[in-house]
Amino acid sequence: MSDDAVAGDRSAAADREAATERAVRESYDRHTTVIARTVVRVVVPIILVTAVGLLLQGHNRPGGGFIGAVLTATAFVLVYVIFGMEYLQDDFLGLRAADGGSHAAVEYYRWLFAAGLALAAGSGMAPLIAGLPFLTQAVLFLHHIPLYGEFELASAFAFDLGVYLTVVGGLLTVLGEVGSE
Amino acid sequence: MTGQIVIAPMLVALSTAILALLARFDGRVEKAVSLVGAGGYAVAVAALFDAVVLAPGGPTTLTYGVSDWQAPFGIVLVADALSAFMLALAAPVVVAAAVYSVVSVDERGQRLSYHPLFHFMVLGVSGAFLTGDVFNLFVWFEVMLMSSYVLVLFYSGREHTRAALGYVVLNLLASALMLVAIGGLYATTGTLNMADMARRLADPAAYGVAVAPTLGLGALLLSVFAVKAGTVPFHFWVPSAYRAAPAPVTAVLAGVVKKVGVYAVIRLFFTVFGGAAYASTSTFAYVGPVLMLLAGASIILGGVGAAGREDVDGLLAFSSIGQVGFIVLPLGAAMTVPAATTTLAGAETMLAVLGVTAALVYSLTHALAKPLLFLASGTIRSALGTTDFAQLGGLARRTPLLAGGFLLGSLALVGVPPILGFFGKLLVFRTVAEGIAAGMPAGALAAATMLVGAILTIAYVTRGWNQVFWGEPTERVQQLIPVRWGRSRFAGDGDAGSSSIAPDGGPSTVTDRALVVQVAVVVALALGLVGLGVGAEVVVDAATDAAHAATGTDAYVEAVAPVDPGAEYSPSHAAGAANASDGSHSLDASAAVDGGER
Repeated sequence: MSDDAVAGDRSAAADREAATERAVRESYDRHTTVIARTVVRVVVPIILVTAVGLLLQGHNRPGGGFIGAVLTATAFVLVYVIFGMEYLQDDFLGLRAADGGSHAAVEYYRWLFAAGLALAAGSGMAPLIAGLPFLTQAVLFLHHIPLYGEFELASAFAFDLGVYLTVVGGLLTVLGEVGSE
Repeated sequence: MTGQIVIAPMLVALSTAILALLARFDGRVEKAVSLVGAGGYAVAVAALFDAVVLAPGGPTTLTYGVSDWQAPFGIVLVADALSAFMLALAAPVVVAAAVYSVVSVDERGQRLSYHPLFHFMVLGVSGAFLTGDVFNLFVWFEVMLMSSYVLVLFYSGREHTRAALGYVVLNLLASALMLVAIGGLYATTGTLNMADMARRLADPAAYGVAVAPTLGLGALLLSVFAVKAGTVPFHFWVPSAYRAAPAPVTAVLAGVVKKVGVYAVIRLFFTVFGGAAYASTSTFAYVGPVLMLLAGASIILGGVGAAGREDVDGLLAFSSIGQVGFIVLPLGAAMTVPAATTTLAGAETMLAVLGVTAALVYSLTHALAKPLLFLASGTIRSALGTTDFAQLGGLARRTPLLAGGFLLGSLALVGVPPILGFFGKLLVFRTVAEGIAAGMPAGALAAATMLVGAILTIAYVTRGWNQVFWGEPTERVQQLIPVRWGRSRFAGDGDAGSSSIAPDGGPSTVTDRALVVQVAVVVALALGLVGLGVGAEVVVDAATDAAHAATGTDAYVEAVAPVDPGAEYSPSHAAGAANASDGSHSLDASAAVDGGER
């Protein structure tokens, strides 16, 4: 598609659409205060880093895929509540709304869910090739890594990551579906 | 570790569900995945059955420590003859329902993840049959139920929402009770592993277990399983849920999911609590009369309810309440007189063995006949848009094959030889008769209930057949199926294709080819019923093996061989040190499956 065609498309219908969207977003903005928006800007990255931290240490300390995913979903919820449903998918993920006005990001969340399940189940089935029972885990310690020192490479992390993706995908699918209704 | 075969059915179902989820971009690919997965499931179950029941030197018990943890620290899967029998009962229903689903579920249904949910339900069923861990049993119940919640709500009309709400609320309540009971059992016995629990209950003094609370906890579990099996005081979710769900889902719910409740009763009360040394009598003596009461009430209420229905689906739903009564009755009878013995296949055994054999053979009959009837009813609905008696009639002339299948399924419920149903009913009657001979209390009442139930079965089955298949074709039938199925296509008559109506009343997309497949599935199940009836000896032998496995607590404990935490523990096993992390480790794995269902 040529640039002209894209521009033509955008100028006609999309302008009107953008105007509606702006109106919607402004209506959201009116409901949330500057304080809330500023706090969320600061807090969301912290939540996400904490979530990843919990995910990474989950296989031998408190944490894990599930709780990391719930925390990640909380960050998304904050963004949804403070900035509105459309902010995330339009400005952040760069998606256009799907036909019928449903929440376009939900389709991606569904994929996340399926991919996470596949990863978790796949990591469980990998030991079968070696003749070990389903879900058998192994661990490898790497020494003398620059800056880091000792590093623990645990196969349980693959499973945890699968759980993480599944739960993030599942929770956000529910939020997206319920939120857009 | 050899023996990967034990987990094979579960892995096939899990992989199929995930692949179907990933294949959602193309409906045809998703259908193909679902079909291949169902076939693979049947192959895996057949291989497991072969390895367990048909093993050289008689039936054996295979165990599988998931994640290489040893019992009782990790979750152990145990495939004995009982588990293998139940899986073999599930597999044909799964295959039939999957084939039927592929032609009957439309595009919109597929977008609602029908096929992944279907296979997650199969995964839950298989897990429940195979697990050797009480808490894990709860997890698989949940996997199975969460999928079925969505599938019952599938058409999402007002009536369906109401039906699903009753189903969901009752089952969530039951799940909560089950969790409480399992927590109590853990607090009392100090273990969740079934074999370990059985060992501790058999010798409570040695392990410092107070057995008194387990009676109450067992009663709580019994009521939960009664909810799942749909027996009388907890039957009220059955008719509305069965009518609301799509036909293949109802087939699996009635054929297999109900049997999970029956299986759980057999496994926990015969295998785990069966060996328990209670004050002076066995646990059976407490549970038996309760089970018999539930069974008797189910038989009468299901029979009367079915005889009064004005539509095929309602008749079949009430009928399955009554039929579960027939399955539970021999279990109760055998429990009531725990000391009684009988001769089975030339050897003297406990009456419990005969009771479980009867329950299993009857379960198999019901697991084939009821899906057959529900699928036949679904075919009628997809061709005519209704299953009301008032709108139906004379279908035998239009669809002789479907009518034949329906007739065989009905006769299986009645128990006419040479169909398998005859042998099921014979064994049930024999168990009760021998129970009476052994001095079972209220034996005459039980026998009378059974007779009345059998007569009611004949009554409602005859009524259903007369209303739907005999008589003159009604106006609706004349209009929608003007000539015999099969004629129109070969005559090249273009507009004779079925102009049918979807369950929600809108225009249906069901094609002639889809109807042919649906009828073929029904006929295949009917032939299976007759075939198993002719080869009933094999079935009864397999059921007897399963019953021996179910009642043989000692052999079960020996096969699982849980490590005794009190005794010295050799860290040579891959499990390593046995500490508190064992529990969280294995629970995490099940929580992941649970979480994935959300």
